[in-house]
Amino acid sequence: MSLSNEPIIVANDLTISYELHRERKKLTALQDINLEVKAGEFVVLVGPSGCGKTSFINAISGLVPKETGSVTVRGEEVTGPGPDRAMVFQDYALLPWRTVESNVRMPFEFQDLGVSEAEKKKRVQECLELVDLNGFEKSFPYELSGGMKQRVGIARALITHPDILLADEPFAAIDAMTREAMQAEMERIVMETGQTCVFITHSIDEAILLGDRVVVISYRPGKVKEIVDINFPRPRMSNSEVKTSREYAEIRDHIWKLVKDEASQTNRGE
Amino acid sequence: MANKGQQNAQVFDTDDPDRIQDIGWTAREVWRRSRGFVVTSINIMTFFILWEIVTIYGNINPLFLPKASDMFMELWVGLTTRAPEGAVFSGSILDHFLHSFSNLMFGLGIAILIGVPGGLLMGGNKYIEAILSPYVWALASLPRIALVPLFILFLGFTTTMQVTIIVISAVFPIMINAWAGVKTTEKSLLAAARVFGANRRQLYVKVVLPYTLPFIISGIQQGIGRGLIGVVIAELFGGSNGLGYLIQRSADTFNTAMNFAVLLLLIVMSLSLINFTRWLEAYVAPWRSANHL
Ligand SMILES: Nc1ncnc2c1ncn2[C@@H]1O[C@H](COP(=O)(O)OP(=O)(O)OP(=O)(O)O)[C@@H](O)[C@H]1O
Ligand SMILES: [Mg+2]
Repeated sequence: MSLSNEPIIVANDLTISYELHRERKKLTALQDINLEVKAGEFVVLVGPSGCGKTSFINAISGLVPKETGSVTVRGEEVTGPGPDRAMVFQDYALLPWRTVESNVRMPFEFQDLGVSEAEKKKRVQECLELVDLNGFEKSFPYELSGGMKQRVGIARALITHPDILLADEPFAAIDAMTREAMQAEMERIVMETGQTCVFITHSIDEAILLGDRVVVISYRPGKVKEIVDINFPRPRMSNSEVKTSREYAEIRDHIWKLVKDEASQTNRGE
Repeated sequence: MANKGQQNAQVFDTDDPDRIQDIGWTAREVWRRSRGFVVTSINIMTFFILWEIVTIYGNINPLFLPKASDMFMELWVGLTTRAPEGAVFSGSILDHFLHSFSNLMFGLGIAILIGVPGGLLMGGNKYIEAILSPYVWALASLPRIALVPLFILFLGFTTTMQVTIIVISAVFPIMINAWAGVKTTEKSLLAAARVFGANRRQLYVKVVLPYTLPFIISGIQQGIGRGLIGVVIAELFGGSNGLGYLIQRSADTFNTAMNFAVLLLLIVMSLSLINFTRWLEAYVAPWRSANHL
């Protein structure tokens, strides 16, 4: 895995706001975000609930329009979704009338990516294997547990081998053991494919273990509070020394304080 | 990773005998599943037996309440005989039933053909919605029976008139439900489809339409209820055919048993159709019933 220094995603003074229809007001979710993500980089966003993390990756995926500023992917302004970006949704967003297999295949169905039928079949199996759901191809989402649904969403996002993976708390509903396995899997994929990843999590450990950089977002309006570089050598998941090192404890403590600062503002009210 | 695969294989394999076992049938389970049916059957039989006893020993004028057995007799005879060739009026329930039923099906069919695309268009295009919605709401809120004299004026006492009333009765619940289905399609499903490359047409065909299907079916279910009212009203007002006409005629000729027989038939017909759509809804959208515990 070599990090080229070419930025692939650039957010420039990005502001996102939502109109509140009931009272002719607008809510600024994110304000003046500046962030460059390099090709192959793993950027993790952390911050208190409601600070605008989902809004940010929705702006990169092209689902949410920006108010001012810009988001570019490879130099081009984002105006809508594209096949170079895939997403794992916080609320899974699986089509309830489709089986697991058919949900996972969905990205191939909607766009022609020049992948042969045999290759599609192979990738479905691969991706289901990856998230430990083989045997559940014919199940429907309502027959699965929350964590299983989330893993279907992960398989769906990985199946096209996208350049950029936008993952919105992809492991939130998954139990600790499976979660660790999936984190290792994630690290392996990123190392092997050089995929760029923007990843949201509430777990600081997960952020440090996976991220090249951790972006702490402040609360109301969301701004970049601090960007923390993480320089542990990869692979980190299989390396027990990382978690026990002093540096790890220090970074963890540092990020924890930053987030706690922000979160405590939540409790103080508006 | 091999390690993880093995560790989880036993947890996630559907064929695994540790997790999926044949639990077999117990007498208790058979009873649990059939008791609703058994209790209802006994309940209804008791009702008719009591009715029979009351009418036999109660010295009740059969003009007001015929014996249950007379009612069933009328029903049986009416359903097993047909009018002779060339008869002007038929006393056969079957003839009238077939007339009403085919009208209902025909009218429902037209109502579906108009209501479903109409509702989808209104949900999908805000201009069409803005233009059509006042008329849809106006006609939907108008008691449909108020239109009957007008249709008789336009179309006379014809089958066309009867079908038109059924259509006008059934089309609005279907249309409004389809419209609501499109409008309430979960935003996150649309977002996911868009992220994975769906264009506008695919969004409609692959997300909005399947999401709306159960709404359309409940619309049809309501449409059946309204349509049946339409059938009876259309036939009560005009014509010499159909169950509505038979209700009127049996009352005019003081044949209360026949009247009750037709009412019973209407109940059975209505319940069967509604249960069929319930089953259909559960069949095409099992996730909706699986959602509530
Ligand atoms: N569609 C919307 N309409 C109005 N306001 C919205 C909408 N989506 C998000 N918001 C507001 O924007 C802010 C940021 O929301 P966002 O979903 O980006 O937060 P988040 O950081 O992802 O939170 P969480 O960690 O809980 O997922 C919130 O205050 C929320 O109320
Ligand atoms: Mg979020």
